[in-house]
Amino acid sequence: MRPHDAARTLVEALETIPRRPGRGFRFVGSDRQERFFTYEEMWQEALRRGAHLSAMGLDPGDAVALVIPEGHEFVLTFLGATVAGIVPVPVFPRATFKAIDGYVDVLSHIVESSGARVMLTMEATRPFVEKVMERDVGLERLAVCEEAFGGDAPDFERPDVAPDDLCFLQFTSGSTSRPKGVMVTHANLVANSRAFLGPHGLDRNDDDVGVSWLPLYHDMGLIGFILGTLVCDIPVVILPTATFARTPRLWLETLHRFRGTITYAPNFAYQLAAKRVRDADLAELDLSAVRVAGCGAEPIRARTLLDFAARLAPTGFDGDRVFLPSYGMAEATLAITFHQLGNPIVVDRVDAEAMKRGEATPAREGATEGVLEIVSCGAAFPEHELEIVDEQGEPIGERRVGEIVTRGPSVTQGYYRNPEATAEGWRDGWLRTGDLGYRAGGNVHICGRIKDLIIVNGANHYPQDIEWVVGDLEGVRRGNVVAFGVMRDGTDELVIVAEGNSGDAPALRKAIAQAVAERFGLSPGHVGIVPVGTLPKTSSGKAQRKKTKAMFEEGHLPEHA
Amino acid sequence: MDRAQLLSMFRTMATEIAEKDFSHVTEESVIADLGIDSLGMLELVGSMERELEVQIPDDELVGIQTVDQLLDLVEKRTT
Repeated sequence: MRPHDAARTLVEALETIPRRPGRGFRFVGSDRQERFFTYEEMWQEALRRGAHLSAMGLDPGDAVALVIPEGHEFVLTFLGATVAGIVPVPVFPRATFKAIDGYVDVLSHIVESSGARVMLTMEATRPFVEKVMERDVGLERLAVCEEAFGGDAPDFERPDVAPDDLCFLQFTSGSTSRPKGVMVTHANLVANSRAFLGPHGLDRNDDDVGVSWLPLYHDMGLIGFILGTLVCDIPVVILPTATFARTPRLWLETLHRFRGTITYAPNFAYQLAAKRVRDADLAELDLSAVRVAGCGAEPIRARTLLDFAARLAPTGFDGDRVFLPSYGMAEATLAITFHQLGNPIVVDRVDAEAMKRGEATPAREGATEGVLEIVSCGAAFPEHELEIVDEQGEPIGERRVGEIVTRGPSVTQGYYRNPEATAEGWRDGWLRTGDLGYRAGGNVHICGRIKDLIIVNGANHYPQDIEWVVGDLEGVRRGNVVAFGVMRDGTDELVIVAEGNSGDAPALRKAIAQAVAERFGLSPGHVGIVPVGTLPKTSSGKAQRKKTKAMFEEGHLPEHA
Repeated sequence: MDRAQLLSMFRTMATEIAEKDFSHVTEESVIADLGIDSLGMLELVGSMERELEVQIPDDELVGIQTVDQLLDLVEKRTT
């Protein structure tokens, strides 16, 4: 058998991860009860679950949808599927307080496009999940973990799992109309994990302990703290995601209790934690063991990180050393670039006017007005390449804004059963990220998104989806609605502009806000109603987001009162 | 603490978190229509839990759609 550091698949990694005393995964349940599993226990349980899954008629290469809210149940079932060569498809369990219909739509789309015939869930989530059985999307069986894995494991012959086999499908978040499943192979996973946890990334060591409350159905939580940590032998403590917003203190307390060294969060979470933590808490916490506080998944605002560091300074949290701005995406497995570990974050101050033209010209020394602060996300990992290209796909020079493209062993092969979208996103082995950025001093700086994605609190929202829902409302015509995000306090705020009559404006604003809240769980920062014919249109009659946004920001939209 | 006090606590905390007026909120209000996003609602639940020293299990929160359903959950644990 290969040694652990030469494992080529997730299965080999789990089988060979050294069984050292006290090391393993600890899960805090939604009941706050802690469950600890050694690596050997995880391996044995994965074999057991793999046997049960294959007894359900699932063959190697088949997809199985996992809608499992409890961390340990999710992880053990995921690993069980992997051991049996079955391809897990993680799906988010329904978010609290949102309307159910939209959720069932997304779930159905994912089931259909992954071809999953079997879905695993739990008793608590079954009432919402089982509505998918009524849709004609090919789902044949819904099983709950509490029953499915009880009893003795049936006989089971473990299949060979090769590095180029599909490990799992990562569905990209946000778009309700076009969920796309990124195909992550074992080779992709192993290459990316070794890149971001190795000497040019987090530089793992034997004293590391990861602490995370990130959702396990997304790349940052799943690969960053479950799969990558198995490949690179780092014990972790996993908290339920919902507890973070309710009790941000629990995150910090857990870092303290377990001498956590590595944690990650999107920008908004640092802001929320700094706001909620109390002076009394600070006195009790020791966060001096933290050596990596990563930040990714949404635009990074320097101010937020510096405020967090200042607030947490009494705990020994060293903001000059530990912040790690990171850039990545599911299509590249997870990580693309990392800031250089152990150094203060690098903030590039550029001239706002020049940026509108795509030039990242440094701002005048001492200037305070018209300056954009952009956080450096570092450089690509060894064996990986990154370029900034113009609209023709030609590489452009330093401090010129263009699309970020990347290639290397972490870059996936495309979207599952979706050749059109794959052809659009990948060219000659290069992944077109759809993100805009520039290079300065060899480091990548991210400045925006070509596709106008709106990111609120770490969640991606596609303007088109929002425009469709609003366009369905009485009094609004489809095609006469524009949705976009404007930056406010480090996160996007949703703005919706629709054409309508002045007499209807107050009722229409209310109906739009309600529809968006119900469907997306979003509360728009601004809803504007403008006279019919106001929105700038393309030659084919489509409303133009970019122009509308510019008019909004310059105060040129003639909104009804 | 009676229902009227719980509702008033809900309004005050919602205002603090989402920075807008929630005085119109009644027990019948649908949470998704209030103009406070799901992250803000979780913050609000956390604040109520801290203030009243109770803990509501995640899986009980999953089905909640209206203000009175949420107050039922809180009340069940305070009495």
